[in-house]
Amino acid sequence: MSLSTLDWIIILVYLVGCMAAGLWMRRYVRGVHDFAVAGREMNVNLGVASLAATELGLVTIMYTAQLGYEKGFAGATIGVIMCVVMWLVGRTGFVIGPLRQAGVMTIPELFEKRFGPRVRWLAGLFVVLGGLLNMGIFLRLGGEFLVFATGLPPHWLEWVMTALLGIVLLYTAFGGMLSVLVTDYLQFLIMGLGIVLTSVIVVLHIGWDDLTRVLYDAYAAGGDKPRPHPYNPFHSSNFGWGYLAWQFVFQLAAVTTWQTQVSRVLAARDAGTAKRMYRQTSFYFVGRFLLPGLWGAAAFVYFTKQGGLPAELTSLTAMPHFLSVVLPAGIIGIVVAAMLAAEMSTDSGYMLTWATVIYNDIVTPLLRRPLSPQGQLLLTRGLVLAIAVFLLFYGLWYELPGNAWDYLAVTGNIYLASVFTLLVAGLYWPRANATGAAAALVLGAIGPVTFLLIGKRFNIAPEVAGASSFALAAIGMVAGSLLSRRSVSPAA
Amino acid sequence: MSSFASLFWAVLIAASVIWYGILVFYIGIKAGKEIRELTRTLERDRDKS
Repeated sequence: MSLSTLDWIIILVYLVGCMAAGLWMRRYVRGVHDFAVAGREMNVNLGVASLAATELGLVTIMYTAQLGYEKGFAGATIGVIMCVVMWLVGRTGFVIGPLRQAGVMTIPELFEKRFGPRVRWLAGLFVVLGGLLNMGIFLRLGGEFLVFATGLPPHWLEWVMTALLGIVLLYTAFGGMLSVLVTDYLQFLIMGLGIVLTSVIVVLHIGWDDLTRVLYDAYAAGGDKPRPHPYNPFHSSNFGWGYLAWQFVFQLAAVTTWQTQVSRVLAARDAGTAKRMYRQTSFYFVGRFLLPGLWGAAAFVYFTKQGGLPAELTSLTAMPHFLSVVLPAGIIGIVVAAMLAAEMSTDSGYMLTWATVIYNDIVTPLLRRPLSPQGQLLLTRGLVLAIAVFLLFYGLWYELPGNAWDYLAVTGNIYLASVFTLLVAGLYWPRANATGAAAALVLGAIGPVTFLLIGKRFNIAPEVAGASSFALAAIGMVAGSLLSRRSVSPAA
Repeated sequence: MSSFASLFWAVLIAASVIWYGILVFYIGIKAGKEIRELTRTLERDRDKS
């Protein structure tokens, strides 16, 4: 299906509005402090909108829909786990409370206070490595959605990716976190509208009874390629207990450590605001997995009724193609604008976050004398540009070793396991020291890196790679701290 | 099991759709006011420096 004139007008108005708002905020940027953490003036509702927009990208919609297509509604269990974990962290202030009170701009900066400058630098390196590899597939998945949903020719994919990136790059590089907050707000509004509209239309089109019946029948039919149980995540044919246990630990690490999420904690006015923001955003994460999962499950039902998935489609691209068929003209314009919003808010938030970490924790410690405020801003903007170029080229050539969610979870684990261990030990265990921290960083990265390099060849399960990285990081921290006598003064 | 489980997911889907709808309006209005407040504060700071 091709878009109508009305659809294109909606998309154009959205893009121009977003760009104008993003560029407008440039006038308030006076230094890196405004650029990276918005002068720490963000309040709770803006924090909720920004966090929700950043953490619901087009890549999220693609991989959660893929989970819905492959595993039915049970694929959204990860979102339920995330909701529970977010609420618990928001209620107790676990990690995020002391982190905000420390007054740092990035997590590695806290490590310098606790473990010394070398650990800060090493942690910064792991944070950036995991973060950039994780982000590497965002653009491609986003481009694939847009191409399949709008019916553009497949060879336009690279151009769509480049144009998208160019727009995001422009306002992020100029306005930093201030632009990101304001554009996130606009993106939150249009994204929410698009998600609600799409979910209602999808259920009306397929019919609830048909949806649940076909999903269950496909599982019950068994055959050569049996389907997972569509409703029960604990069933051995679906995730199973082991995978879900790993996900609980993974999500706890993610919500307390993932730099893009934590950057909202650090930009909050105080620890209380950060905790409220977490509690109020928690249920949002159920819908983040469940509603696109519903679209993916509906796409499975639709194509099953049509006689199977066409050869040119995969479990990843089935959902956007399905939406292009069921959404009426006018509505699809809003939905495509909503998905553009999802992509842009995530890309801008992530580019800014990783650029800030590279500037703050990798480059700055190596400089003999501090840069001027203009030099600091110029360097951070240059880093945003460099990340954009990396994204473009990595997204074009990298081939996913499994499904998109497993790739994201495992690459995220490169730094989540070790940095989470460092954070928890640094904040709550007085015996933790620099040797333990360095051992945790290195050992925690072994499992995920092994999975990325040879996981496909040796059939390594993602939960094995993920869980082993948490265990190894913890062992490294405990053994390294207890066996070495060197201690660093705890200043955090 | 299946009917209970499908009911569980149905309730969660309905709750998510309603929650997203409410959030768009509620947060939309509140966060809009906060942006205005934020820009005023930044404007004041800019004039001071």
